[in-house]
Amino acid sequence: MFTRNWKHLCRRYSQAVTFRTSEIYPAQHNENQIGLFYTIKPDLCKQLFNHGGLPKSFMKQTKTFTETAIMVRQPALDIMDCIRASDMNKPVIRYVLYGEKGSGKSLTLAHLLHYALEEGYLILHVPWVSEWLRRTPRHKEMTNSQTKEGFVDLPLDAAEWLLHFKTQNQALLKNCELKISKDYEWSKREKTEAGSPIAALVEHGINRVKYACDVIDALLLEIKILSNSKQCKTFVAIDGFNSFYYPMTRLNTPTKKKIKPEEVTLTNSFLELTKNDWNNGVVVLTIDQLAVPDENQESFLPRYLLYKKGFEHLDPFVPIEVGRYTDKEFLSCANYYRDRLWLRGPSDLETELKFTSASNPYNFMLQCAPL
Amino acid sequence: MSLIGIRQIIPAATKYFRYPLTIGTFQYCTRTTSDPSNVLNDLTDWETLNKKKKISKAMKAYLERAKEHDEFMKRQQFEYNIGKRHLANMMGEDPELFTQKDVERAIEYLFPSGIYDPAARPSMRPPEDVFPARKAAEFDEAGRPHHCLFYTGKPNFFKLLHDAADHLQQLYKYEDQVIRKKATPDPNGNLQLGGSMWVNKDQLEQLLVEKISDLEYDNFKVVMERLVSLPYSYRYKDFIEKFRKPLAVQKFALEIPKPNYDEEGRAYITTYECLRKKARGDVTIRSPGTGKITINKKDITYFDDVQSREQVLFPLIFTGMQNRVDVECNVEGGGPSGQSGAIRWGIAWGLRSFVDKDMLQQMQVAGLLTRDHRRRERKKPGQPGARKKPTWKKR
Repeated sequence: MFTRNWKHLCRRYSQAVTFRTSEIYPAQHNENQIGLFYTIKPDLCKQLFNHGGLPKSFMKQTKTFTETAIMVRQPALDIMDCIRASDMNKPVIRYVLYGEKGSGKSLTLAHLLHYALEEGYLILHVPWVSEWLRRTPRHKEMTNSQTKEGFVDLPLDAAEWLLHFKTQNQALLKNCELKISKDYEWSKREKTEAGSPIAALVEHGINRVKYACDVIDALLLEIKILSNSKQCKTFVAIDGFNSFYYPMTRLNTPTKKKIKPEEVTLTNSFLELTKNDWNNGVVVLTIDQLAVPDENQESFLPRYLLYKKGFEHLDPFVPIEVGRYTDKEFLSCANYYRDRLWLRGPSDLETELKFTSASNPYNFMLQCAPL
Repeated sequence: MSLIGIRQIIPAATKYFRYPLTIGTFQYCTRTTSDPSNVLNDLTDWETLNKKKKISKAMKAYLERAKEHDEFMKRQQFEYNIGKRHLANMMGEDPELFTQKDVERAIEYLFPSGIYDPAARPSMRPPEDVFPARKAAEFDEAGRPHHCLFYTGKPNFFKLLHDAADHLQQLYKYEDQVIRKKATPDPNGNLQLGGSMWVNKDQLEQLLVEKISDLEYDNFKVVMERLVSLPYSYRYKDFIEKFRKPLAVQKFALEIPKPNYDEEGRAYITTYECLRKKARGDVTIRSPGTGKITINKKDITYFDDVQSREQVLFPLIFTGMQNRVDVECNVEGGGPSGQSGAIRWGIAWGLRSFVDKDMLQQMQVAGLLTRDHRRRERKKPGQPGARKKPTWKKR
């Protein structure tokens, strides 16, 4: 009885204030919806983020709240406006999201991914670069590349990414408009002929894990060509991009040799993709302090995290800062938590939480958890 | 100059270097009581009294003790005066104008002591300060007690209760009179007891020169509360205020500094020497503000953990000033908890100038204005930590 009353109270409270928008298409979002939450449909969410893409703690929260609600925030709207306003025939524009730890870069990227999906872009999304270069689980597999001398393959990771690519772009891959331009010979018996759909290439990579890295290399090249010839428009999203430029990875070859990121084939493929030598596409990158070890997290600014090399590689790019919550966003978020019965107690709790979390979204989420 | 040298020069002074153990030896000192009704004037002419024939044994014993004590005190007083003159000469000052304060200064200068507890440091004080007061004779030479309540064992205490009860009766009577005459009560006659409280048990014992039990102290409080609750209790104001002592709040309420004004016309106040553990810093509070906190030129994220942030925030939230003042702090030394504690105290101390009296009292009660003097305890030899003992091993 008591809990029902509580629920009732909270629901009534939540009806009194607006923190939610019914507009579920990101393309329709505008300045009026800043600070409001919108819900991504579960099947879409599964398609986009089944193989990663949302931060782990946020995933836990979505499970508790039984919905994936993302706040409409200024940086995402800015990028959408820029994309709409830009000329697709010009070389791709690189957008770089940066900001403090836990300020919502990945979720802004998720919002943009949803936008790209609704707009019919071909999505090339890397959920977290450090997963490849810095995380070393026991089953991490590494082989020397057979096509490129002195390079290292990560076949399992590559295959996983291909699967991710396949699920994200189910609809586009189904219609066989997208064809590859030249023959690829993998071995004596296996080869992919020119004119076969991209889906066949992807399938091959998934089935023959040994060639996954080479498949990715080929796939990215093909997509570039297809984009240039206006057969598809492409949306590249890479989370934790600065990991590609950190001087060392944590990977070791079986002979205990340390590997640099540029010696990994996957790195080269994706760095090739972030060059602005192609058009009809959008590149959104996030750079994050969490992607590098603790001792190199002094600043969150691009020049520090990308090093000189990475900065020159990306230059010119559009830097977009993802900041802490503004007062309005904070209040809306607190109301959302109250609606989900995640935050209870007197209403002056918010002022205190605002100070102790310093309006940092992640910290706010953490501190609300036991309340 | 060595310590021995000084002792040779002022042999008398060394007598008064009070060490805790020596106090207990003077148990038979008999002198003064706070109650003026007792007979004291015959204390000095004990010789003539001794000559009288009829004297009880109790009186005889008392007179002997009194004589002994008087002599002792006289000697002590004499030695104290000599010692004071010596000290004055050594310090090159006029011995006639040398006060107790000068004595303390001289002792601190001549015998510098690093002993932690101030009570254990060398001191020289007048003998009446050092030796506790004793009750005077409560009976005459024939052995008859002066006081009517002598046989209760605690005459002063029960006299107090009697007086209080008597005042109660008087007040009832007075109230009846007022009602009968239909007179209007005196408008400016009321008792202000807000800033004071009843003396505690130890202080009451000192006032009465008698030991009392907890139950008796409770009885005292009940009677006094009842007396105070009556409408015309102001008639016995003197009697009541003898047993009340002012609260500590009033003391520092007087010394709150007035804020300064900067070029923008904002009131600001800077608290220097905010200390906690090893951290020290200063805190500036500017009054019309928006709740901006700057710590060493960073915002609240200077502290990583929630606890430290809460500490900084607590005085602001407690006083409800979180959106009305700006805070700037500089801290150094120590760790996060020490630094945040220092800032907390600095903010609370600075906020005194911007809050009203009620809030000040609440802050005092909440412990915001209290310095935390605790420091890290030193490690002891032979054990792994300050208190931790090595793991017990049978052999």
